[in-house]
Amino acid sequence: MSAAATEASHRLSFANVTKWYGSVCALLDVSFEVGREVVGLVGKNGVGKSTLMKLAVGLLAPSQGEVRVGEHSAGTRAARAAIGFCPDFDRLYEPLSGATFVAWMLRYHGVGASTARSRAIEVLTELGLGSDMHRPIREYSKGMRQRVRLGQALAHRPRFVLLDEPMTGLDPVARAELSQRIRALPEQGVGVLVSSHVLHELEAVVDRVVLVHQGRVLADGRIGELRERLPERPHRLRIRGARLRGIAAHLTGWREVEGVAIRDGALEVALTGDSEFYDRLTRFAADWPGGIEELVPLDDDLASVFGYLVE
Amino acid sequence: MASSIGAMLESARQTLVMLRYRRTWWWALPGLAGLFALAYAAGLRAPERVAGADMFCVFAWWSLSSVVVPWVAVFLGVQAVHGELEDRTAQYLFLRPVSRAALLFGKWLAVAMVSSAISVGAAAVIYAGVGAHAARWPDGGEPELLYAFGETVIFGAIAYTSVAMLFGAAFRRPLVWSAFFVVGLQLVAANLPVSAGLRRLTITDPMRRMVLDRIEPSPRLARMLWPAEREFSYDDIGAPVQNLVWFTLVGLLVAVVCYARAEYDSRSRD
Repeated sequence: MSAAATEASHRLSFANVTKWYGSVCALLDVSFEVGREVVGLVGKNGVGKSTLMKLAVGLLAPSQGEVRVGEHSAGTRAARAAIGFCPDFDRLYEPLSGATFVAWMLRYHGVGASTARSRAIEVLTELGLGSDMHRPIREYSKGMRQRVRLGQALAHRPRFVLLDEPMTGLDPVARAELSQRIRALPEQGVGVLVSSHVLHELEAVVDRVVLVHQGRVLADGRIGELRERLPERPHRLRIRGARLRGIAAHLTGWREVEGVAIRDGALEVALTGDSEFYDRLTRFAADWPGGIEELVPLDDDLASVFGYLVE
Repeated sequence: MASSIGAMLESARQTLVMLRYRRTWWWALPGLAGLFALAYAAGLRAPERVAGADMFCVFAWWSLSSVVVPWVAVFLGVQAVHGELEDRTAQYLFLRPVSRAALLFGKWLAVAMVSSAISVGAAAVIYAGVGAHAARWPDGGEPELLYAFGETVIFGAIAYTSVAMLFGAAFRRPLVWSAFFVVGLQLVAANLPVSAGLRRLTITDPMRRMVLDRIEPSPRLARMLWPAEREFSYDDIGAPVQNLVWFTLVGLLVAVVCYARAEYDSRSRD
């Protein structure tokens, strides 16, 4: 297989996808791709994130456009074999143990009974379920159930993993663990599409984000790049240090600074995007008598970018 | 990817295990015990002139064809198909690289096996309950009656299971539709003339013709088993097995079409 063909087989692509539910348009002309990376699907509840995922795994069919999993159309057997999906609902085969459930699902991938069992144990061990994997699922906590859902998505070693609101219901420790596992997947050649409406959770995990609003893709790119695409929006910066009024007086003379205000013992600066500004500010901070304790960008995070775009 | 036959057998195995987890035997075994007690009590209380064979046939026909066979098959079948669709665990199966037809055939196979076993067991306990009264069987037991009913309830259970698959896959309230079919449609059809086309849409009618064909009843027994038909004739029996097989195949085919439809996960279901 040529390098181009190999790369194509590692692309999950949505091409001009539109989805109607009766007279309601859930998605309109959506196009983006997922390679061997972690892509965050970001949007408020009900904007079509889950619909996009279900289109990719073949549980829904697009009204227009095409979803391809590598070289296969979504929903075909070959496409389903290449995808693992962790849905957002919390239902499993309650009387079964986690290991049995994952092994049962593996059997449909043509895996023999004993191999399926050992692979299920292996993947659930990696996910930290430990000896609990042999207890009935109905006795599991939310975090343990989430591990089982993730296990059934990963056990058949898919090329793409789709995670629909995977952090929901998890405690902070479990969220951190899951974030690490998601981050590690691209190193194993797995492309990940992960949705969440809790933006700060995604920020540390994703390589790229696709912002969805009212069924359309608002933006697609790295968070920093997206912020740079909003020059009309002044950046905001928080500065803590000695003699804030002096700093304010100094900064107001800079052409990039649009405004300054002191709030809650810190100086907030509004400025137009200019990479040189930060170099100058760094030098200024180093020379400032009494020192500067903190320089924090207030709106370079995903939530701010998303908020600006939606507005 | 698993082969279709392999997927079907795996689906059947998993369905059987889930039926076991759902404690099917917990209610099936007491149910069979209760049926034995009823048959035994009926044997005690019936007038002395009623022969054991007639009594078994009437008791077995009405209890099995009206209650046990349809409701066991429908209940288990709906549970196997509709329960997973309603709680959305079927999505885990639909994500796998196997055809949904193979999944559904597997479920049908498992439910048909279990409902057939329970139905044959029910026929056997009724036979045992009535047969316990030796005075009613002056010529000794007639096991061929049990074979006839056993054969009939197996075909019936298989056909009802296909109905359960269809209703479970197609409707949001499959048990209501099943009640309409089992009680409503079949009760109406049972009282129609033999020539009525509506009878072809039922399972009871070919089951009844199959029983009559196998047991060779007296005119009196035939009237008890087939009240709508005053002049019982073997010409009216037709080909009941063929009818049941066709019913099963058509029911299963439509069930597969419904089960395999592209979009199960509608927004309203969410």
